[in-house]
Amino acid sequence: MERREFCRYLGVCTVAACTGGLAGCARLIDWSSGSRDTASRSMSGTETTSVQPTGTSVPTATPEAPAPPPDLAVWTGDDPESNVRAAIAALGGMERFVKRGAKVVVKPNVLTGRAPKYATTTNPQVLAGVVKMCLEAGAASVVVLDRPTSSARQAFDVSGLTAATQSAGGTLKILSDRNFERVEIPGGRSLTSWPLVADVFDADVFINVPIAKTHGMAGLTLSMKNLMGIMGGERGTIHQDFAQKIVDVNTLVKPHLVVLDAYRMLIRNGPTGGDLRDVRLAKTVVAGTSQVAVDAFGTTLFEMKPTDLDYLVRAAEQGLGIIDLALLSVARGQA
Amino acid sequence: MADAARTRARRGLRRLRKASQYTLLAAFLVLLTLTVWPLGHVYLGAFLVADPLIAANSAMGGVLRIEMLLAVVVLLSPLLLGRAFCGYVCPTGALAEAVSPTERPSDGGPPRMRASRVPARARAILRALPPYVLIACGGLLLFASGSFLFFDPLTTLTRSATVLLYPALDRLTRVIGDVAYLAPPLRGGVDAVTSALTGRIVFTRPLTYGLQLGILGYFGMMLGLSRLEPRLWCRHLCPLGALLGLTGRFALFGRVVDAEVCIQCGKCEHVCPLDAVSGDHLSTDTARCQLGLECAEVCPTDAIRVGWLPSRTTFQPSRRALLGASGATLLAGFFTYTGLSRSERDVRLIRPPGARTETEVLGLCSRCGQCMKVCPTNVLQPAVTRAGIEGVFTPQMDYRLSYCDWSCSECGKVCPTGAIMPLALEAKRKTTIGRAYIDRNRCIPWADYKTCLVCQELCPIPDKAIALREVEVDDPRGGKVRLGRPEVLVERCIGCGVCENACPVPNESAIVVRAVAPERRA
Repeated sequence: MERREFCRYLGVCTVAACTGGLAGCARLIDWSSGSRDTASRSMSGTETTSVQPTGTSVPTATPEAPAPPPDLAVWTGDDPESNVRAAIAALGGMERFVKRGAKVVVKPNVLTGRAPKYATTTNPQVLAGVVKMCLEAGAASVVVLDRPTSSARQAFDVSGLTAATQSAGGTLKILSDRNFERVEIPGGRSLTSWPLVADVFDADVFINVPIAKTHGMAGLTLSMKNLMGIMGGERGTIHQDFAQKIVDVNTLVKPHLVVLDAYRMLIRNGPTGGDLRDVRLAKTVVAGTSQVAVDAFGTTLFEMKPTDLDYLVRAAEQGLGIIDLALLSVARGQA
Repeated sequence: MADAARTRARRGLRRLRKASQYTLLAAFLVLLTLTVWPLGHVYLGAFLVADPLIAANSAMGGVLRIEMLLAVVVLLSPLLLGRAFCGYVCPTGALAEAVSPTERPSDGGPPRMRASRVPARARAILRALPPYVLIACGGLLLFASGSFLFFDPLTTLTRSATVLLYPALDRLTRVIGDVAYLAPPLRGGVDAVTSALTGRIVFTRPLTYGLQLGILGYFGMMLGLSRLEPRLWCRHLCPLGALLGLTGRFALFGRVVDAEVCIQCGKCEHVCPLDAVSGDHLSTDTARCQLGLECAEVCPTDAIRVGWLPSRTTFQPSRRALLGASGATLLAGFFTYTGLSRSERDVRLIRPPGARTETEVLGLCSRCGQCMKVCPTNVLQPAVTRAGIEGVFTPQMDYRLSYCDWSCSECGKVCPTGAIMPLALEAKRKTTIGRAYIDRNRCIPWADYKTCLVCQELCPIPDKAIALREVEVDDPRGGKVRLGRPEVLVERCIGCGVCENACPVPNESAIVVRAVAPERRA
């Protein structure tokens, strides 16, 4: 081998080794702690939670002023999408939440791969309705994401949510570890920081679209518990001091709109289900802006009281919202 | 003028052969890449039984399928086409040839294979090997051990690509994504590509396989032998080549040399990729000739063409040697068959749903690893020691790594041999392959007096095979504590391993799945 050839060979090897090494370093980055210090992030545009119940302030409304939108809209009917449309219209329309050009993130419940009829995952038509309404309101992009407990590809495809998202014009995002960022939870009592999906904080509008199910430990999984799906890391340890941890995440992440799918409800053997005998056809959707209020109402669908759920009681104590159903204004209708 | 045209035609044949090799190698890899959940209509699957070795083994095991007709065609092809399978079709052969060293002859002309570097005596032994390779395979086949299929060229390529190529692609995709993610404008694109590739090329949990170094070593050795002598493995060691050579002995059509024109220059001997020309150069070892006709291309006097009933010089082992080898193989096979390893079963050895009995799996499995390729959760792993030496690289479940997905039953569909039977999803969900046992000394509610329900929460059985029993117990730290303690409902558990996989107790799970006799529940 001649000297010139040797030098060239050495040069090529060095470049290759450096490229490989640098690429390897990129792989080692813990994306969930992107900036060395835990980032402090908040939701864009959420007003600080008003603990003033609007239900009691009805007499002060002047006759000329338009009636304030109700706290909750509960719609029942045979077509899941019509229910969603009617309920959101009753809250003041999607335009109230989604401005033209807004970036929207929608979080359904995609626990694992089960056909929609088993009520393990959010109803595809409910999700499609929300996505379509966002686009109709002028959203620049609607991203649908979740972190299933099983492999994401099967969970999204089998639950029909891939097809629903794509046919409605939304973008399905299967999360990788790059999408999580360790975020400080200032109001957390048990959980003070955790890797959460960064998209939720980057978006202009965050919409939570859970399904109503029973859950062995939480009792029920509705909208508050659904936020576990934006949590990264090892989630197995969350199950100690579970209720408080659910509340802690909810102190930080406050969706602009909550659409609880109760078209089919899983009334036993949740959250995974899999038996049609455990599914009750309620043909209902509950929409609202407060997770606590939506979940408080959600308990009634299971013939339970809001105070039956530990995390709801704690959320109310911490001032996250109202669980006394008498204080909530509810618009009801049939689609 | 006519000579020039003929030369061009013969070079054309060499190009055609190369093109055919690389096309089929590419097709093979495309089919294997498409072997992912959810299976469409196009995937590798039963194509592997076109391999007569696999087909013969399956037929011995009592499994017959329509694709085996292809194997019959392949087995009979050497009568008319020589070992064209090795030269034009076999993707492993294409790789072995691609890494074989070539040299440019001093007189110009196309590059040709470098001469063998194996010492003459060793070479004589190597050249005599194929019949004995075949006898060894036959002995194992007779005593219901499919372990010889480990050495089949097509299973070797499938296995090596599964264990080496796809995990590497997975990591490479991640690294490229990570590097691109450093530039914020590219992030949207990276996320879109990641979403599209997830579950196909890049996986939620990075793909990983046991026995990687072993497979790398074996595959590397197989290809690396070509550096000693071009296509050494194909020429002397390949069991499929030996089987096709057996038919090739009776070839009706092949290379013929015009003795009047031949000047005994020996160029044909040097260029033959499968070492089929030796001695007088006039006759052909029809057990080796792949009808690539590179000999005709270099022949200075144009003495070589193809024709009926070629004169042949095939290696004839002595009757004594053949009998001796057969006897030894029969003894080895018999004592494998009656050995303890055939009756003992490791309680941690859990076969995928649809797998036949342990003896049948050992006999039928082609060790190709397609089931591991298609498995979307990566739970299917090659057995290293648990299935004994015969069972190396047969599929087993590794539940600490992953779990068997409720919405998948693809492993049985891709299995070319029927060692794993194809099950409809509904049948698979009722097929018991193991059962979960709770280790009460380590389970959090049992041992630590703290709440935990992960196994019960994620159990995919519709009515839950794990129940939480509400109890109030004395906490050793003082006082009483109310909590739910998990218990397995044995008649419901199918052994899918979701619980063992999800258990938050580190290292060894506090709920473990152990083997039970396979049974189907109606």
